[in-house]
Amino acid sequence: MTANPDGCVLVAEGLGMRFRSPEGTITLFSDVNLNIRHGEAVAVLGASGSGKSTLLGLLAGLDQPSEGRVLLDGHDLSRLGEDDRAAVRAGRVGFVFQAFHLLPGMTALENVMLPGELAGSGGVRGRAADALERVGLTGRASHYPAQLSGGEQQRVALARAFVDDPRVLFADEPTGNLDRHTGEHIIDAMFALNRDNGTTLVLVTHDPALAGRCGRIIHVEETGLREEVAA
Amino acid sequence: MILALRWLWRDWRGGELRLLALAVVVAVAAVTSVSWLAERVGAATEARAADLLAADRAVERPEPIPDGWLRRARSEHGLATARTAEFPSVVVAGERTQLVSVKAVTPGYPLRGELRVSDGLDGAERATTKTPAPGSVWVAPRLLRLLGLSVGDRLALGQGEFRIAGVITLEPDRGSFFNSLAPRVLMPYADLEGTGLIGPGSRVRYKLLVAGTPAAAAAFTDALVAEQGNAVEIETPEGQGRGIGEVVDRARRFLGLGALLTVVVAGVAVLLTVRHYAERQVLAVAVMRAVGARRRRLTTLFVARLFWLALFAGAVGAALGFVVHAGMLSLVADLIDRDIPPPGWRPLVVGWLTAAAALFGFALPTLLRLRDVPPMRVLRREAAAGLLRAGVPVAVAAVVVFALMGWQAGEWRLAAYVIAALAVAVGLLAVAARASIAAVRALVRRRGGRLLWLSGFTRRPWTAVVQIVGVGTGLMALFLLAVVRNDLLDAWRDRIPDDAANQFLINIQADERVGVRERLAQAGIDAAFAPMVRGRLVALNGDPVAEAEDVPADDDVGRRRGRREFNLTWSAEPQQGNEVVAGEWWGAAGDPGELSVETGFAERYGIALGDRLTFDIAGRRVSARVTSLREVDWESFRVNFFVVASPGTLDGLPATWLTSFHLPDTREGVIVDIIRDYPSVTAIDVTSILRTVRSIMDQGSSVVELMSLLTLAAGVLVLLAALQITGEQRRFEGALLRALGASGRRVRRLARYEFWLLGGVAGLIAGGVATGAGVFVAEGLFGLEYPFRPLTLVVGAAVGVITVWAAGGLAARRYQRSSPMRLLREGAD
Repeated sequence: MTANPDGCVLVAEGLGMRFRSPEGTITLFSDVNLNIRHGEAVAVLGASGSGKSTLLGLLAGLDQPSEGRVLLDGHDLSRLGEDDRAAVRAGRVGFVFQAFHLLPGMTALENVMLPGELAGSGGVRGRAADALERVGLTGRASHYPAQLSGGEQQRVALARAFVDDPRVLFADEPTGNLDRHTGEHIIDAMFALNRDNGTTLVLVTHDPALAGRCGRIIHVEETGLREEVAA
Repeated sequence: MILALRWLWRDWRGGELRLLALAVVVAVAAVTSVSWLAERVGAATEARAADLLAADRAVERPEPIPDGWLRRARSEHGLATARTAEFPSVVVAGERTQLVSVKAVTPGYPLRGELRVSDGLDGAERATTKTPAPGSVWVAPRLLRLLGLSVGDRLALGQGEFRIAGVITLEPDRGSFFNSLAPRVLMPYADLEGTGLIGPGSRVRYKLLVAGTPAAAAAFTDALVAEQGNAVEIETPEGQGRGIGEVVDRARRFLGLGALLTVVVAGVAVLLTVRHYAERQVLAVAVMRAVGARRRRLTTLFVARLFWLALFAGAVGAALGFVVHAGMLSLVADLIDRDIPPPGWRPLVVGWLTAAAALFGFALPTLLRLRDVPPMRVLRREAAAGLLRAGVPVAVAAVVVFALMGWQAGEWRLAAYVIAALAVAVGLLAVAARASIAAVRALVRRRGGRLLWLSGFTRRPWTAVVQIVGVGTGLMALFLLAVVRNDLLDAWRDRIPDDAANQFLINIQADERVGVRERLAQAGIDAAFAPMVRGRLVALNGDPVAEAEDVPADDDVGRRRGRREFNLTWSAEPQQGNEVVAGEWWGAAGDPGELSVETGFAERYGIALGDRLTFDIAGRRVSARVTSLREVDWESFRVNFFVVASPGTLDGLPATWLTSFHLPDTREGVIVDIIRDYPSVTAIDVTSILRTVRSIMDQGSSVVELMSLLTLAAGVLVLLAALQITGEQRRFEGALLRALGASGRRVRRLARYEFWLLGGVAGLIAGGVATGAGVFVAEGLFGLEYPFRPLTLVVGAAVGVITVWAAGGLAARRYQRSSPMRLLREGAD
């Protein structure tokens, strides 16, 4: 374990990602350096295929970078194998995805219970019910994803992401599959949770309006990262 | 474990595991039904090893047991004794006759085990310590049914008239459980003489039964052997149990391997469903990994989930297996004793082991691949591409199949043969399926859009092959048993000429020969009579032949020589249908001292041209040299002998005569007359024996047919599993066609045609492979001409069409209902 500088919960140092393809090696990005402090809200903007989702995956420890390292809550993820990274992620990070990724065979409540059940912690049901209440879905606890609207599904996903009070919430295009109105509701809920829990928020989006609500905006461009300071 | 149980319940609720569980249930049902059947029938016979003799030891000889032996057993050894005499005979009731197996017993019988009787076919059975009263007999239920008699009726046995006083429901020393050829008649020993059934040369097995302490029984029989040598044969419970055990064991292995066919087909369904299930789990696993689940945690969860599934599906399958075994038992109820022990718990364990083997062998390897789902899959769809390749799971499944076969067959070589045969059959099905798909595809290409209805079949060639092979395997098993078996029997029957002998008269005493011949002549039957002398082979080229018990177990030829009594005859001319293939037949004058031996017999007994055989015939030693070997056409149903002596060789020895002839239906009365006048003559009606053999085979094979229905059920599950895999594609195609303007009816019609084609091809190929197997067996093994019946193929195709249409049509309905709107909504994911 390495101490993160200046109370940063997430640090990227010299991060690079390359892929091998039939046309040769493709460099998605290289030498990316990033410090994210506890409680910050950071938006990652970029065109399709710019590598912003890959960057998110690296920051969350879902994948290993080709070079450089990521420190998550003081843990150097680049030195860890997948199982040890999973142990670091457990309880520390939450996810919200564009396609919600709820498990179709489970009810809303069961979906929210999933992280706690996997961690084998107690009182899972009660905490999950609380989390559903916070996103205003108590009445839908026993519904299956297919019986919920897109907005409701994303709220279930939010409840699942926040149920264990993660240090960092990673969101990948959280409103990408929702209409504008519903999307705004989700964003409101997400920022409210972020505020109440003091969670660090890293979100990938196309949407400048959504990005505008974050304290920091980082553009992923061919030349590298460019940070714009929000108004 | 509890979490796994909870998740299993969620999967089940979501309908994810139903096919998988059903496949396991069918596999377990197949194995447990056979297991219960074998265990109970086996236990019914084996558990009574001592009862099988009705004594602790039995002394058998072809002559009546001297009274002195009984006295010695009682007074010198303190043993309880009883005497029995067993022989085939014919009972007459009105104008009907029936070959029976008579057993005359003295009071005290049985010394061990239990005799049970009832007062009628439907009467309550009770154990009895009595034997039939003078003038009365107890009979097997089958005899009453065959002759349409009931308790209280009278029947004639030789010159005696007996009242049927009871029905035998359990006879301890009945021997094997398939002995319905000649139903039992139990009569008082004291009445035996009055029947006149016993004459010189009659085939009677006299037995002295003894019971007491094992040591005393052994001491008595040992002393008797020391004194009498080969003239007596000693039977022990162990020897009896071994024989029965072998029959039961063979039946168990055969049915067990049949059950494994179902397991293998169900295993394919498991492989397919679990693959589908795993594909649907990829994202769930990626989410779990993203939120921090380790590989070990996932492994535990999958293993525990399968454990629970095995427990539940195993229990349900065992329950179904129990029902099936009860059905099988009722099918063969006629052939076995009613006294069957209650079902045990062991098949339940076997069922669970099967469920575990099916799930851990066929499903786990695929599920374990899920541990390697990269968590990046939550962000990038292509991250888990190619993860679920089938190589390893299929290899593991093959090993599991081989292990199961070895376990069920009890030996690896048999397992390898069965697997090879299975592989050939399945391979043929697969090749034929692939070829028919290629043919349809070529047709579609040539005819273009007009054959749109055929295209579903060719668009999914891989799943079509799997479906055809799955359903085809089940149908093939069914056709082989239901159709080909009958064809084989018919082919065999057709080969017997219409005027082939259908009646044998045996045990004709020398002085009765003229009378019997006259009776037959009056009925317009000209029959040839042959003499028969019974002897035991005691020396070969001067070397004494060892007793069967003294020969090492692996010396089959030696054991055969020592065991059997030979039937010898003499004749000046070779019989009709006999061909001398080595040596020379004796001249017309016929020097005494020559023998002609049937080739197969010579081979089995290790006898060569020029050997000198010495027989013990009624205490006299007769030697003769083998001067020719003959081939015999046994299917003529003429009287034939393995060993024929030249005239004069057997002069002066006790002989009985026998004859065979064709008896037209209209003259059946002549048999009744002959038996009434010559009670010691035994008539054997070949037609009725063939009928009985056929009905026994029908009963036995209906058990196997029940089994193959389970195989077909497993095949249908393969079909459904493959449907499930293509379900999403079907849904998409249905929606697309409807978006392009096709009516719902049209979409359903297209699916229907696809199922018809699929079922038709599967049934046609299955019928073809089954017919091919029939030809192979008939012409290769039995030298019969197999009647090719196009109807088998037509029926096969029809059964295939109906099966696939019914099962597939129902399952595919939900895929066809999808609205064109789905296309738009689901386009993104």
